[in-house]
Amino acid sequence: MNLDISFAFETLIQIIPGIPVTLGMALGALLIAVPLGFLLALIRVNKIFIIDKLAALYVSFVRGTPVVVQIFLIYSALPAILNQMIEANGWQLDAYSVPPVLYAILVFGFNTSTHLSEIFRSALLSVPKGQKEAAYTVGLNAFQAYRRIIIPQALAVAAPSMCTASMNMLKNTSLAYMMAVMDITGRAKALAGVGYQYLEAYLDIFVMYLILCLCVEKLFQIWEKRLLHYKITA
Amino acid sequence: MITIDNVKKSFQGNEVLKGISLTIEKNDVVAILGPSGSGKTTFLRCINFLEKADEGKIVFDGIETDLSKASKKEIAAIRKKTAFVFQNYNLFQNKTALENVTEGLIIARKVPKAEAEKIAKEALDKVGLSERYDYYPSQLSGGQQQRVGIARAFAVNPEVILFDEPTSALDPELIGEVLGVMKKLAKEGTTMVVVTHEMSFARDAATKVVFMADGKIVEEGTSKEFFTHPKEERTRQFLRRYLNDYDYLI
Repeated sequence: MNLDISFAFETLIQIIPGIPVTLGMALGALLIAVPLGFLLALIRVNKIFIIDKLAALYVSFVRGTPVVVQIFLIYSALPAILNQMIEANGWQLDAYSVPPVLYAILVFGFNTSTHLSEIFRSALLSVPKGQKEAAYTVGLNAFQAYRRIIIPQALAVAAPSMCTASMNMLKNTSLAYMMAVMDITGRAKALAGVGYQYLEAYLDIFVMYLILCLCVEKLFQIWEKRLLHYKITA
Repeated sequence: MITIDNVKKSFQGNEVLKGISLTIEKNDVVAILGPSGSGKTTFLRCINFLEKADEGKIVFDGIETDLSKASKKEIAAIRKKTAFVFQNYNLFQNKTALENVTEGLIIARKVPKAEAEKIAKEALDKVGLSERYDYYPSQLSGGQQQRVGIARAFAVNPEVILFDEPTSALDPELIGEVLGVMKKLAKEGTTMVVVTHEMSFARDAATKVVFMADGKIVEEGTSKEFFTHPKEERTRQFLRRYLNDYDYLI
């Protein structure tokens, strides 16, 4: 096995512009997943009539199917649906010019929202009922009780699992190459294909994903420490 | 000041409160006694809407509210006039002792932060926790936590403080410090309703004693009447059991 170190290094440099794409996808997906996941969790924890059943169904569907299949589905169905809408409304748009990275963000956002909703749900349930009752008795309303008392405590519980879910999602974004997204994996595959030097290129992104994930882990550790500041024992 | 009329409550067909009525005057210290499962705690929780009564009404400062179908606004109004001390303290875990006390002042009553902190420090000083302002509940003993709980209750200057078995979760050595604070409040004329198993508190600090059993009020009277001349046989039974354990009471 011959490792072309200089090719590996050159490729590494050329892959770097893919990092913002990878991180952008991950961040964009989180922007969808966190609020949506939290909303789903709230709906289910508070057992809101019928909607909670729909939320559970959504979670089961998305969790019960592989990301790859979700990518296939969204990537073939969404542009077609969009195209129909455009034709029906006579808009001056081209459905097939939507950058694929947007579809990727949707897929990973929806996918992660289901994992996060389960994490948030168990975290919310882990906060003792007495905390909410005490908040009510001092005069807080439901919104204030959630924002000031329940959510901060639930987040402290959820943080480690949120870290895992976020890292999983970051790694899953590597599948975006299937939608022709030029993230680090997409770039690596393209560059490697030129001279059939796959091993070098894959080693490059192996290291890159590792570094990115370690950074995410570190960030979550710092955040978790801040969230847990109140759990010091005498 | 407060009249509570005919409160009924069932849990899954099990009738826990079978029509409880109680009148509380200003400066009253009402001790609610009774065996476990008699509905004392449920009754107290119904007053503050922590539990929704099936029936019953409350007249608070002349304003009548239906306990079974109060609006959010009515509930908020009554909660602002009352405070609650829990059996297991329920201090906000993510807040310091001081923040636990200021929360209801700043957020619910819109007291400016500086003033709220001043009030909260005075309240904590009064319960003997002047050294513990910045401690989190996890750093405090049970007795200290409950004293913060009491400070949190009286700091908002409520018209009545509801105590739900405030010493039941404490080990015997810590009960004294909490009862001491409660007796101090009672002496100052704080209106209190106290569900308790502490006979000594009921006898020494209460102005009025209510004895509940099986979801009904069996007997009520001044604490002197109650402990020296109980009228009902059920009350005598109950007191006998306690007085056997605590014969120093006699």
